[in-house]
Amino acid sequence: MEGFLPWQWCLFWYIVAMPVVAYGVIQIKKITDKQPESKPLLAVSGAFVFILSSLKLPSVTGSCSHPTGTGLGAVLFGPAAASVLGAIVLVFQAILLAHGGITTLGANIFSMGIIGPLVAWLVYKGIQKANGPTLLGVFLAAALADLMTYVTTAIQLSLAFPVPSFGMAFNNFMWIFAITQIPLAIAEGLLTVVIFDYIMKLKPDILENLKVIGPKVKEKVQAVV
Amino acid sequence: MFENTLDNYAHHNGLKDTNTLFKVLFAISTMLVSLISISPVVPLIITLVMSFIIIFFAKIPWKFYLKFLFIPFVFAFITFIFMSIFFGVGAHILELGFFNLAVTADGFNLGFLVLARIMGGFTCLAFLALTIPMTELFSELERIKIPQIVLELAMLMYRYIFVFLDEAMNMYHAQETRMGYISLKKSFKSMGMLASNLFIRTWLKGEKAYFAMESRCYNGSIRTLKEPESLRNIGVRNLCLFITFEILLLLGVYLTGSFRIFEIV
Repeated sequence: MEGFLPWQWCLFWYIVAMPVVAYGVIQIKKITDKQPESKPLLAVSGAFVFILSSLKLPSVTGSCSHPTGTGLGAVLFGPAAASVLGAIVLVFQAILLAHGGITTLGANIFSMGIIGPLVAWLVYKGIQKANGPTLLGVFLAAALADLMTYVTTAIQLSLAFPVPSFGMAFNNFMWIFAITQIPLAIAEGLLTVVIFDYIMKLKPDILENLKVIGPKVKEKVQAVV
Repeated sequence: MFENTLDNYAHHNGLKDTNTLFKVLFAISTMLVSLISISPVVPLIITLVMSFIIIFFAKIPWKFYLKFLFIPFVFAFITFIFMSIFFGVGAHILELGFFNLAVTADGFNLGFLVLARIMGGFTCLAFLALTIPMTELFSELERIKIPQIVLELAMLMYRYIFVFLDEAMNMYHAQETRMGYISLKKSFKSMGMLASNLFIRTWLKGEKAYFAMESRCYNGSIRTLKEPESLRNIGVRNLCLFITFEILLLLGVYLTGSFRIFEIV
């Protein structure tokens, strides 16, 4: 929320977030140069993040609880590209809906745009490596991305306001977030699974080109359809 | 929809012909002053001044503006209560009488400062959101050398957000006229169908629009005939007012630096 963090922390999170976003821009350029037809999907995933993260529930800790939607983008395009999507969405939210804020942008990008997608991507790739079911991977990726975003936010908040101590503040923030965020994370995971399932049935080629699913999964999906 | 009215005001307000760069500079620098202030006085002054400008110069209806301001205020107020109870270690100024909870002086001060900062920052943001249309912001961003691919994606995304809302409304009405929300169980089912189809429908629609643009020589940027604005168009008078205002605020920050509502003993 605008004005919530002291300026030193605003600056710090900006400095941490910027290189990742810059790297993400290079990644996105690579993807779209190779496959210009993935641009609409990129933009729709971004719009999806925007819509989901506008569904805010206020929680008492200087931040709102909301689904993040970044898991889907991360699974589809990788964490670096998803961080750019997250950054654009957060700028939109600040300017269009006056949510989030310009000064706290760095911190928000770090929690929602970097940690969330990174977790989602790692979980998804991990389950794929272990030959787990694709949809389970998508569910866990989306739900955990959502949860980890809030753990990161709690850490950021308690770093900025370590009263009476970092641990105590962290504990306070975590409890409050846990109440609102765990149901939201599960709901988001389910929604992402439904959407991903549709994409797999409708346009398996684009997923294969983006190396999201292997040829085996594609054949199986096509056999079902 | 809420977003639509916000966008409408951004296009039709009393300050829409003012230099975009000037508006951005004004809002961002005032926001920064509010941020670095260590006493609640300056952010509260900023809140009042910004609200004054938004209501009387930008001519945003005050009812709409207050409704707009109400959500962050509630949010900031809850934060304030939370911080004044849990974030203090100093002297107790008000015993709550249960769970050994009490409002402490330093917690109260910190909470009030954060409340003031949120309101100060939020009104600056409201000024940006209510007076600058998105398309003009894009052209400003292009000038400060934001990579083209980012702007292109941002532009597509901006469009798709409205496609999303549009599709959602259409599907909702279609479901409603077919008794889709007649009972709780049906509502859940309809909601699920809506949510899962929404993404695909928007994607397909967006793809169509993209291909249509591409077959008409779209190469990543939409060029408009608007003359680029420069800092010179702002005018000496406005620029002087702007600088004086910011200096006064900074002076205020310096002078009120040690002000606290409750002195810490």
